[in-house]
Amino acid sequence: MTEREESTGMIPALGCVVGFAGVALAFFMSGTERFWMNWIIWFLFLLTIGLGCLFIVALEHVVGAKWSVPLRRIPERLSGLILLMIPATLLALFSLPELYPWTRPEILENPMVAGKAVWLNVPFFSIRVVACVVLWSLSYWIFVRRSIRQDKSGDPRYTLRVRRFAPLFMFLFGITLTVVAFDWISSLDPLWYSDIFGVYLFAGTFLAGLAVTTLTILYLKRSGRLPDVKPDHLYNLGGFLFAFIVFWSYIGFAQYLLMWYANIPEEVVWYKERLSGEWGAIILAMALLHFVVPFFILMARDAKRDPRFLSAAAILVLFSHMLDLYWMMYPALGTGGFFGWQELSFAVLFVSAALLWIRRSMNLGADMPVGDPMLREGLEFRL
Amino acid sequence: MSSREVFSVLGIFDSPHVLMKAIPTVRAGVAAKLEAYTPYPVHGLDEALGLRKSPIAGMVLVMGVLGAVAALGLEFWTSGVDYPQVTAGKPCFSWEAFIPIMFEVTVLFAAFTAGLGMLLLLNRLPFFRHPMLMSKSMPLITRDKFVLAVESDECTLDVDDIFGLLQESGAAAVEIVEAPAVQGPSSPKFFIGVLIAIAFSCVVAGCATYWAMKLFPKTVPMAHMLDQPRLNSQQENNFFKDGSGMRMPVDGTVSRSSLPYNLQEQEEAEALVNPLPRTSEVLKQGQRLFNDYCSVCHGIRGDGLLEDGSRTLTPAYEANPANLLSKSIVDLSDGSMYHVLVKGKNLMPSYAPDLTGDERWMALHYVRVLQRAFNATDEDVASAEK
Repeated sequence: MTEREESTGMIPALGCVVGFAGVALAFFMSGTERFWMNWIIWFLFLLTIGLGCLFIVALEHVVGAKWSVPLRRIPERLSGLILLMIPATLLALFSLPELYPWTRPEILENPMVAGKAVWLNVPFFSIRVVACVVLWSLSYWIFVRRSIRQDKSGDPRYTLRVRRFAPLFMFLFGITLTVVAFDWISSLDPLWYSDIFGVYLFAGTFLAGLAVTTLTILYLKRSGRLPDVKPDHLYNLGGFLFAFIVFWSYIGFAQYLLMWYANIPEEVVWYKERLSGEWGAIILAMALLHFVVPFFILMARDAKRDPRFLSAAAILVLFSHMLDLYWMMYPALGTGGFFGWQELSFAVLFVSAALLWIRRSMNLGADMPVGDPMLREGLEFRL
Repeated sequence: MSSREVFSVLGIFDSPHVLMKAIPTVRAGVAAKLEAYTPYPVHGLDEALGLRKSPIAGMVLVMGVLGAVAALGLEFWTSGVDYPQVTAGKPCFSWEAFIPIMFEVTVLFAAFTAGLGMLLLLNRLPFFRHPMLMSKSMPLITRDKFVLAVESDECTLDVDDIFGLLQESGAAAVEIVEAPAVQGPSSPKFFIGVLIAIAFSCVVAGCATYWAMKLFPKTVPMAHMLDQPRLNSQQENNFFKDGSGMRMPVDGTVSRSSLPYNLQEQEEAEALVNPLPRTSEVLKQGQRLFNDYCSVCHGIRGDGLLEDGSRTLTPAYEANPANLLSKSIVDLSDGSMYHVLVKGKNLMPSYAPDLTGDERWMALHYVRVLQRAFNATDEDVASAEK
C-alpha cells in the first residue's frame, strides 16, 4: 500500500468518526423520529447500491453477456455493501414504532388500514426483513465468493452452475426488492398504494448500482489497475446508463400520470403533498438531474465512451437517487423539508463508511475474473 | 480497356487480415471511393476505409425535437386554444395528458427519420440491379471471400493502374464491374412514378368514398354505437317481476329543481306570498304563460269570454270557467290562487305538471295586472295619462 493510498483512507476514517459523533448527537438532541427517518433513507441508499451491483452481476449470467466479463469483478466487490448494511437493516427495525403509523393500535380503527394488518404487522415485517437479508447474503455468497474462488481454480463448473442459479435470483430479486419498496418506503403512508412502486424502486436501484460501478471502474482505470478496459466497454456502460435513465423517468411518470388521471383521493394525497412547496422544488430538480441533464450528456455516441461525460452523468444519477429517496420518505415526518447538521452528519457517516468498505473490498480477488473461461472473449469485445 | 464504362474494380482477398492490410496501401494509391464487401462484419473496417461519420444521428435528433414540438403544439392549440373542452374536470391545458402523445410522436418522427433517411437519403435506395450483384465475385462474397472495390461515380478509373495496385497489396484475383446501361422499369424514376400513382389512387378512392357517403346517406359506415344492446324506454323486459323495463323513482324522491308542495287545503295556502318581483320581464313571461295555458278557458282577458262575447267553452263541456276579473277572485290571496293552480278546483285540473313553481307565480302576477286593468279607477286612468 503506497503512502498516497494510505492518506486517501484517512479522510473517510475521519469522516466516520465525525459523522458518528454528529449522528449520536442528533439522536439525543433532535428527536428520534428525525434520526430514524435519516437512518432509513441512508441505509436504503447504500443497500440499493449493493443490490443494484448484485443485479448487474446476475444480469450478465442470465443473458450470457461476454463484454462485461472483464468488468464483472467491480460490481461483485461493490455488492458487498449489502453485507455492510445488514446490521443497519436490523437496527432499523427499532424505527417501526417511531415512524410507521400502522404500528399504532388506534389507526387500525380505519377499516382500510385494518384490511392491510395481515401484511403490515411487526412480527411479519421483521420476518420479511430477515428473510430478505438471508436471501441476499446467500446470493452474494453464491455469486461473489465462488467467483473469487474461480480466480485460482479456473474451474468452468462455477460459470455453468451460476448460470442456472441466476434466473432464480432474478425472481427472488424482483420479489424482495418489491417487498423493500412496499415495506420500508410505501408503508410510511399505509393508506397509499401504487402497484408500480416496486418497479420504480428497481429503476432507481439499477441506476444507482450502475452509476457506482461506472465511477469505480473509471477511478480504477485512471489509477492504472484496469488497463485492458477499452472505450467499447465504457460505451456499453454508458448505453446502459442512458437507457435506464429513460426507463426511470418512464416508470416515474407513468406512476404519476395514472394517479393524476384517476384522481382518487387516497392515491393523489401522496402526490399532493410531494408536489407542493420544497418537495415540488425537489421533484423539479430530480426531473432535471435524474433525466434531462444526464440524458443530453450521454446522448452523443462519443460521450458514452468519454470518462468525463460518463462520470458526470453517473454522479448526477447517484445524487438524484439520494434525492429520490429523500423525496419519497421524508415528507412522511410531516415537518417539512430540512437539511441541517443532522442530515449532514448522516451523509458524512454513511458515505465515509461506504468508501472505507469499498476501499477494503477492492482487494478482494483479482481485478478481473481471471479464472472465467470467457474473459478472453470479453477482452476482445469490439462494438 | 480503359475506355469501357467501369463502375468499379474489385480486388478479391482470401482473409480479412490481408484485406485490412491492403486498405491503407490502396487508399494511398488512388483518389477514388473505396468500398468493402465481406461475408460478416469485420471490426475496424469503417475506420480503415475512412468512412465519414454518418449524419443520421443529427437528423434523428432534429426530427425528434421537431416531433416533440409539433405534438405539443398541436395538443396545445387544439385543446387549449381552438376548442377548449373540460374533460374529467382537468384544466384544458394539462401537460400531464400531453406527455404520452408527445413521447409517441417524438419516437415516430425519430424512427421514421432513422429508417427512411438511412434507406432513401444515405443509401440512395431504391437501387435495383446494383452493378455489384451482376459481378462474378458476388457468390464468393456471400461465402468466404473479402472484396475491396474501387468505385467511381464519373467512370474515370485507370483500370490497369488499379489492377497493379490491388495485386501488389495481396489480392488473389481482380475483376471489373461494368456500369449499368439500362434505364427501364428498374430505374428510380419508375419506382417513384409507381409511388405517386399509388398515392394518387388513394386520394381518388378517398374522395369517391366521401361523395358516395354524401349521396347515399342511408349507408351507415359504422353503427356500433347504434346497435349496442340496451333497453329502450317503455320496452318490456323480464328482469323485474312486473315485466316493465322502466323503474319508478324511489318513494320520497324529490326533484332537484323545486321543493315539494305539501299543503292540502286552499285555506292553508292563504298566507303564501308571491316571491317574484313585479318587473317587466316577469310580467311579460307571465303574459306568455297565461296566454298559452290559461286563456284557453279563462279567455284572453281573464273573463272567460271570447272576443265576440261568447263563452270560451260551449255548454257541451258542462264547465263554467271562473271570471278572474270578478270581485270574489280579486279578493282571493295570491297563496289561495297558487293552491288552485297546483291542486286544481272543480273541473279545473292541476297545472303542477305543466308549470314550474316560478312559472305559476309569474302567471299570477299577470292575472293581477289584468284585474287591475279591467277594474281601473279614475285615479289610475289619470296617473296613466300623465
